[in-house]
Amino acid sequence: MNWEIANKNFYRQGLRAFLNVLVTALSIIALIFMLSLLNGFQAQATRNLVSTDVGGGHYRVPGFDILTPTEWEDFTMPVPEVLSGLAKKDKAEVLVQQGQLYPNRRLFPVQLRGIEMDQSLLHLPLAGLKFYEDKPGGEIPAVVGVKMARKAHLKKGDTVVLKWRDKGGAVDARDVLIVDVGDINNPRIDDGVVWLRLDHLRLMTDREGEVSWVAVREYLGLVNGFEFHGIDLLMSDLLALLRQDRINSKILWGILMVLVCTSVFNTQILNIFKRQKEIGTLMALGMEPGRIVRIFTLEGVLAALWALVLAIFLGVPFFIWFQGVGFDVSHLSEASFPIRETIYPDYQPREILVSVFIVLALMIAAAWVPVKKIIRLDPTLALRGRAIT
Amino acid sequence: MIAMKNKIVFALLCFVISGTPVVAEEINAQKLLEQVDDNLWANTKFITGRLIIDNGRKVRTLTQDSWMQGVDRSYSHYKSPAREKGTKMLKIGGKLWMYTPRTDRKILIAGHLLRQSMMGSDLSYEDMMEDHKLSHSYSAIFENFEDFASTRCAVLHLVARDKETTYQTRKVWISPENQRVLKEERFAKSGKLLKRIVFKDYERIGSRQFPRTMIFRDMLKENTKTTYKFDVIEFDVEIPAKYFSQSILKR
Repeated sequence: MNWEIANKNFYRQGLRAFLNVLVTALSIIALIFMLSLLNGFQAQATRNLVSTDVGGGHYRVPGFDILTPTEWEDFTMPVPEVLSGLAKKDKAEVLVQQGQLYPNRRLFPVQLRGIEMDQSLLHLPLAGLKFYEDKPGGEIPAVVGVKMARKAHLKKGDTVVLKWRDKGGAVDARDVLIVDVGDINNPRIDDGVVWLRLDHLRLMTDREGEVSWVAVREYLGLVNGFEFHGIDLLMSDLLALLRQDRINSKILWGILMVLVCTSVFNTQILNIFKRQKEIGTLMALGMEPGRIVRIFTLEGVLAALWALVLAIFLGVPFFIWFQGVGFDVSHLSEASFPIRETIYPDYQPREILVSVFIVLALMIAAAWVPVKKIIRLDPTLALRGRAIT
Repeated sequence: MIAMKNKIVFALLCFVISGTPVVAEEINAQKLLEQVDDNLWANTKFITGRLIIDNGRKVRTLTQDSWMQGVDRSYSHYKSPAREKGTKMLKIGGKLWMYTPRTDRKILIAGHLLRQSMMGSDLSYEDMMEDHKLSHSYSAIFENFEDFASTRCAVLHLVARDKETTYQTRKVWISPENQRVLKEERFAKSGKLLKRIVFKDYERIGSRQFPRTMIFRDMLKENTKTTYKFDVIEFDVEIPAKYFSQSILKR
């Protein structure tokens, strides 16, 4: 009975009800879109970082900090047996040193990154280096990323002078041959990085058998002399950024919800104001005030349910279409985000259900709060339209 | 007649063949290097100079006063341009502190930072601050004679005595007549030429002959040079102890 009355009243509201439903539906779509896009961004950035740099974590020389280039030379150590004995698919030895490149005879400070050629843990476009012998000949072969090549005006086949220091501090310089310009989808290991064979870099710097870190597939427990940096630690800056993004998106969503709730609230206020004679009549005929409140609240519930239906009707085709085209974030690579390709939303059913539930709950609350005053209405005043002024 | 000609040719050949080693033997490379050190090197030095940095697009001139004591201690005070005025550098051992009045802070430039370019010049902080005896750090080998700046010079090949010396090999052009260094080249381990320094405008200062101008070129860069002009040079001066104390690094 309540449901039927509420249903009838809801449809009688016409355009007002439709606008409420539309705004709420759009809010639900926007909320799911925002969250899914952030999920997609995080998933893709994590995937890129893990496959190109982080692996399952790094066993690093204690004190090594990638953000302090002037100290890289002080933090290298021989690889412990427990790590050197791992299969090539489970580890990648990396040595990082400072260097100075002179493209077009202009100084360009670079990070020299040597990596094992037979490792398969990290996926890097370094095939061009594999065909060289373990001792560099007249020119040292190197690979640079697309971004680095663009910034330093380098192209495949170019020869450029590279200067560096060996372990003792003696300065050395040789010609470097750019054997390939690789497409690296992680700008952090592209911008300012010159990729070399690990054996070459070790020979160049007199650091036989030494590394800055060993990337591993999974944590292997404590390794004497090395400290383990897990994925979360190695990605901490990015995760912090995403956390902040989520907070920002919640603020945005909160504003959206306030607007939706205000709209529903306003509609309900108007309803009881315009329909106070009807309320008075129902009360005079013996209907309990609590039941009248329930009927009015049900109208709000109906609006929420219709919003959900409309959100499914409009949102599903939109999400399916967007999943096909994705979101172009190529501009982000300029800001060193480890993501360069188009990102696609990652829809998490649990997250969607929780979000929809919150929206519905807020709507129902916004529909209930203004009508609860009906309980205190005087039926005689309501009948004359003077109970609410 | 032919026999006579043959004799003359033979005599000339003998002279040419035997002459070169005689000249070479006359040059004791290590001793010559020591003489150069004795001439240039003093326990204490005071210099008022100009550092003219030409990066190929713009020329900047820095004026500075420097006090040096042995190989370990030096203090420089920059007087101009306005942007650098008041900048102070203090080197004690392997550490260099830099004070800038704009930030009113001193920064420690240690280890690898010493190898970075100093204020955009062709010299690193290390190059600027180094003042050690070449004869101590390098073994000298005489290579040949070459004319440079209209002066006959002995070219010495210097090889570092230890693996930690920044430039493992150098080449110096020295006039054996007056022990003046006219040119120096610094090489990478691979033998690639990195820096060229030309010494000009020698003047007698007391018992020494000192170049008033040194022109540094980073040979890996294009169209850059840094000229160091010494306007005032005093040797074996007394330097107040406060000049080599960190307390001087303030306004």
